[in-house]
Amino acid sequence: MAGFYEDERRLRGILGWIFSTDHKRIGLLYLFAILFFYAIGVLLGFLMRLELMAPGPTIMRPQTYNAIFTLHGVIMIFLFVIPGIPSIFGNFFLPIQIGARDVAFPRINLLSWWIYMTGAFLAILSLFTGGGPVDTGWTFYVPYSLRTSVNVPLAVFAVFILGFSSILTGINFVTTTHQLRAPGMTWFRLPLFVWAVYATAWIQVLVTPVIGITLLLTLMERLVGVGIFDPAKGGDPLLYQHLFWIYSHPAVYIMILPAMGVISEIIPVFARRTIFGYKAMAFSILAIAVVGSFVWGHHMFVSGQSDLASIIFSLLTFLVAVPSGVKVFNWVSTLYKGSIEVAPPLLFALTFIFLFSIGGLTGLFQGALATDVHLHDTYWVVGHFHYVIFGGTGFALFGALHYWFPKMFGRMYHKKIPYFAWALLFVGFNTLYFPMLILGWKGMPRRYYDYLPQFHSLQWISTIGSWILIAGLILLFANLIYSLFRGEKAEGNPWGGATLEWQIPSPPPRENFAEIPRIERGPYEFRK
Amino acid sequence: MMETHKNDIGSTFGMWLFLLSEILLFGGLFILYSVYRYNHSQIFHLAADALNRPVGALNTLILLTSSLTMALSIFFLKNRRPERSLFFLFLTIFLGLFFLFNKYFEWASKVHHGVYPNAPGLLERERGEVLFYGLYYSMTGLHGFHVLVGIGLLSVMFVFILRGKIDHERILPLKNTGLYWHLVDIIWIFLFPLFYLIT
Amino acid sequence: MKIYILVWLSLVILTGIAVSAAGMDWGGWSLGVALGIAFLKSGLILNYFMHLKDERGLRLFRWMVPGILAILILFIGLTFFDVAFR
Repeated sequence: MAGFYEDERRLRGILGWIFSTDHKRIGLLYLFAILFFYAIGVLLGFLMRLELMAPGPTIMRPQTYNAIFTLHGVIMIFLFVIPGIPSIFGNFFLPIQIGARDVAFPRINLLSWWIYMTGAFLAILSLFTGGGPVDTGWTFYVPYSLRTSVNVPLAVFAVFILGFSSILTGINFVTTTHQLRAPGMTWFRLPLFVWAVYATAWIQVLVTPVIGITLLLTLMERLVGVGIFDPAKGGDPLLYQHLFWIYSHPAVYIMILPAMGVISEIIPVFARRTIFGYKAMAFSILAIAVVGSFVWGHHMFVSGQSDLASIIFSLLTFLVAVPSGVKVFNWVSTLYKGSIEVAPPLLFALTFIFLFSIGGLTGLFQGALATDVHLHDTYWVVGHFHYVIFGGTGFALFGALHYWFPKMFGRMYHKKIPYFAWALLFVGFNTLYFPMLILGWKGMPRRYYDYLPQFHSLQWISTIGSWILIAGLILLFANLIYSLFRGEKAEGNPWGGATLEWQIPSPPPRENFAEIPRIERGPYEFRK
Repeated sequence: MMETHKNDIGSTFGMWLFLLSEILLFGGLFILYSVYRYNHSQIFHLAADALNRPVGALNTLILLTSSLTMALSIFFLKNRRPERSLFFLFLTIFLGLFFLFNKYFEWASKVHHGVYPNAPGLLERERGEVLFYGLYYSMTGLHGFHVLVGIGLLSVMFVFILRGKIDHERILPLKNTGLYWHLVDIIWIFLFPLFYLIT
Repeated sequence: MKIYILVWLSLVILTGIAVSAAGMDWGGWSLGVALGIAFLKSGLILNYFMHLKDERGLRLFRWMVPGILAILILFIGLTFFDVAFR
């Protein structure tokens, strides 16, 4: 049977891709767009590190630095990590894993990609128009974002547009999971990746509109001077922060939950054991999604909000650690007495557990009210969230790429190279971000262009780390891109996976299944 | 047959998910409203006195009636009476326009009295009043925009029924547009007492 | 069809009650009365015009509106732990 690459219906060539409603093609469209923006984000991060290599001006002026760290944040958060795993792998594999031919609303799915591209285009356009690149940081806090002369309106509008794309994707995934499961695919036979993307989709539908309205109001306040947040007009800037984090904290779970889903797919396959505590894993995903939506105030401990609010948000924050702990212990328990094969996907999954644990544990320091006063807005925070987001979601994305690559492209990559790339990434990553934790502990504030001489050595080490990390990234992607064209043909099930995507040819045929399968067993029951 | 039934539930459910996200879009504004009203309750009461309550009440009746005509339009199309369905759909569009017409004059008279965003006269008044009008313009403005979009969708449905693209069998687009229209009505049901009835 | 007109009549009457109740002095209860009526009206529209009570396709149909209200109340409530105790 012809794979979905050969099968062209109405349109040919590039048009057959950018107007395709096939969930697999849309997934790949996202893959290439998102990796392109990731490359830009990495480049900006590299430039920041270069600037910080020595005290004083190194390669750029302060205003440029402000624009670059803002842009690095906006691109990495809104264009890379938030859409990352759900839009690429969710689109490609969610329908296949539940035994469906496509998502519930294929045309809305395509629309969603176009809206994403429009938002991304506007974000880039905002650099070159109006008053120049935004320098507010990715959070667009008022009142500064109301006063600064740079092009805040267009940037804010771009993020608003991107939110639309996120909501539509969420609606699609929730409906698909409810309506299109194959006969016999009960809720507790769903692969955990589906559970994770499903929970994420709910968060996307429910909280994205809150940041939508917040940004819309900021836009209106800037353009026509409506009095909402501006303290000069009686507004309360802290309310902006509340509304912003009502979305942006759950957005952290939009980033990490799908990653946890990927890890839960990879570990059973390479340990040849069913996942330990399937139901606990499924419910902990839901628990993280629910509790995680009500902890936003922990970003505001030093903002001047009431002490009572801080205490309540701190308590709720610690509660999220419980289901997160359940997940980590269950992954490790799955490995116990398994027949482990450390293939590249598992290597990245294990690294995820290690780095995510560091990220999670450093988070506890910030969740505690007393230590947070010391750590707030320092490099500690920068180190912490890079451990969680890059060490977590980023490494899960590399794992997912290596796990599903043969299925998506029908070719296998060179299996030795990922180990070298991994070594560079792992060493580079820790050299880059661990010094940040120490810097922050010693009091180096984040987002500063310059620093005192005593921070020089750690900043210098951190910059060296960024070079090693980038070398690793280049090796990793070079291997994948080379294999895209020259790799050996992959079989249908190279890893011996038990979920549905491994029961069909690689690459999957246009409508996934010749006949909709009937499901009679759980997702991780391997043949003996 | 089974397959189409399942798809019908799917798109109704998808529409509802969209409506839930709409509720939280306005929800952000309701959070702001509740806080600012808590902080400036006296001034909010006084400021609300200046709004035109009869026009607000009239607009409430207009939208409630338009919800009725919308429901009737769907009812008649389902019962294979497209001409009656078209009539009630036309009434719904008309009522929507009537609502916006009133809203326009209400806003225009406020602007005429120098009460509009960033107006010098307004900024000299109490802070609470600036916020009250900030919220008034944002919330009724966003709602008015939704009415406008609704009118656009209803007009498209009108053409579709006229051309026979939608009929008693393929009624779902009309039903989903109806759901949207009713939600816009519900939001006004909350805006009306919160702005016009708190004196 | 009769039910639609009955619902519409109740909605109009409730609006009348809300407007006249606003003229009275309910003290601290006025907001409660106004919102109570608004919730009643929304309930009528949701169940009869939007046919929520007839949706049998998914169990979720019954829970989603109360669910979204609970979320909104939690958002407002947690924000007030800040605003009211600052």
